[in-house]
Amino acid sequence: MIKLNKNLSVIAVAVLATFQAQADIRINGFANLTGGITSSDDSLYGYDDSVSFGSQSLFAVQVSGDINDKTTATGQLVARGSNDYSAEFEWAYITYETSDNTSLSAGRLRLPLFRYSASLDVGYSYHWVVAPQSVYAVPYNNIDGVRFDYTGYTGDLEYTFQLTAGNVESEFTLAGSEAKLSVDNVIALTGDFAYNNWKFRGVYATGKATFDIPALEPALAQLGQLSPNLREQLQANADTGIFYGGSIEYDAFDWFVAAEYTGVEIEDSFYPDEINYYVTAGIRTGKWTPFITYEKSDLNDGPKFLSEISSLPAAFQPGATQLVVGIQQPAVAEETTVSVGVRYDLDTNLALKADVVKRTNDIGENEDSLLRFAVNYVF
Amino acid sequence: MLKKMLIAATMLFATSSVFAELVVVVNPANANTLDSKTVQRIFLGKDKKFADGNESIAVNQSAETQIRQDFDEAVLGRSSSQVSAYWSKLVFTGKGIPPKEVGSDAEVIDLVSKNPSVIGYINRASVTDAVKIVEM
Repeated sequence: MIKLNKNLSVIAVAVLATFQAQADIRINGFANLTGGITSSDDSLYGYDDSVSFGSQSLFAVQVSGDINDKTTATGQLVARGSNDYSAEFEWAYITYETSDNTSLSAGRLRLPLFRYSASLDVGYSYHWVVAPQSVYAVPYNNIDGVRFDYTGYTGDLEYTFQLTAGNVESEFTLAGSEAKLSVDNVIALTGDFAYNNWKFRGVYATGKATFDIPALEPALAQLGQLSPNLREQLQANADTGIFYGGSIEYDAFDWFVAAEYTGVEIEDSFYPDEINYYVTAGIRTGKWTPFITYEKSDLNDGPKFLSEISSLPAAFQPGATQLVVGIQQPAVAEETTVSVGVRYDLDTNLALKADVVKRTNDIGENEDSLLRFAVNYVF
Repeated sequence: MLKKMLIAATMLFATSSVFAELVVVVNPANANTLDSKTVQRIFLGKDKKFADGNESIAVNQSAETQIRQDFDEAVLGRSSSQVSAYWSKLVFTGKGIPPKEVGSDAEVIDLVSKNPSVIGYINRASVTDAVKIVEM
């Protein structure tokens, strides 16, 4: 796979040049102002027990312009509260319509892993205050690469297939410490189907994952002295990862119910097999949409590689066990989240929302409760 | 103030009878047969061409108008807020641009009469020879 990072800057320049050269430019934007307060001493999604807005608020401007009849350049500048509202180009891509129902996009774009991937940041586009974090909070939502889209319909069945290829570079936090993730050679295939009130979706993706986690290095080095082989197995260094998922939705307009399920496996690494899902339902009554969501995130599949330890000299085994389990520990988690909320459509571009979230840590048995309220705006 | 309220009340009263009078219109030169599903697809940006292969351009009435709300509910089958949420998904993924909005039946008639690609909707009472009613 070609590294597309360098090419991205070229595309960004091309995108900007287009905006300057073209009179017909569309400017759209969206904003989510999301405030929250937890029960005393709780903490959830970056909110604590005094009201704050930063962690899940964002403001974005999208500029797009037609280079010619078939080619469009799009740039999306997003300022996130979690990033001190410093604005960054999260997307910059060019789309070429290869035919009436196919198109090719290249640049930095959204990786279509989820039902709401494309409009994940546009709070106005869904009923939740914030999309269910058990499923959607992944550090690989954007990709530098190319995406081929095919849409069509036969009778009442509408379908879209997307093939995405490229690489992901991202930073995230694991158990409180900074970490870097890069996934090369990503290939993702998604299929979306709509039939009357039903929607179905499936996704399968693979890539070579490398985690750079400074906090784990000392333990990995120690383990390497006992068993270079085990160190190699626990380290995620260009190891094959797979991502799979599916969703189903029934929308009768007056009410709807939907569920989404995703899984991640990086077999030859410290990273536990991961299963996430949610089920959500709501009622649309005039301007009000009350809803309920149940989420589960499970990265608690028991430590891997324990059987390999038995082949080590007996004297090494206790130390190796401690290290093997210890290195896998930071990623282990099991959480259940329930939220109840309401959306109120104030106008055709403005929605007010509120919800109460309770997340239970199924391992530590502790609970965190959060009250959130949000203003979602699009223009 | 009172006058405004009277106007509002009149409009409100008029609305109920106007609801059924909404008609979809195209250029008289447009010979395509259109059913409500096709009209829905065109107004949701899913179809960009008529059956004969010519480009289709939908024209909306502005979001504040009653006729727009009636159209969204009667033809698209969702509230204006839901239609707006639908477009917000497409706009911010570069997958579509919502139909251009105009402020009156007269403007719709003007655009439809000048361009065989344009499709719009107006009150039946506003129909002139410059446009053709789509029977759905």
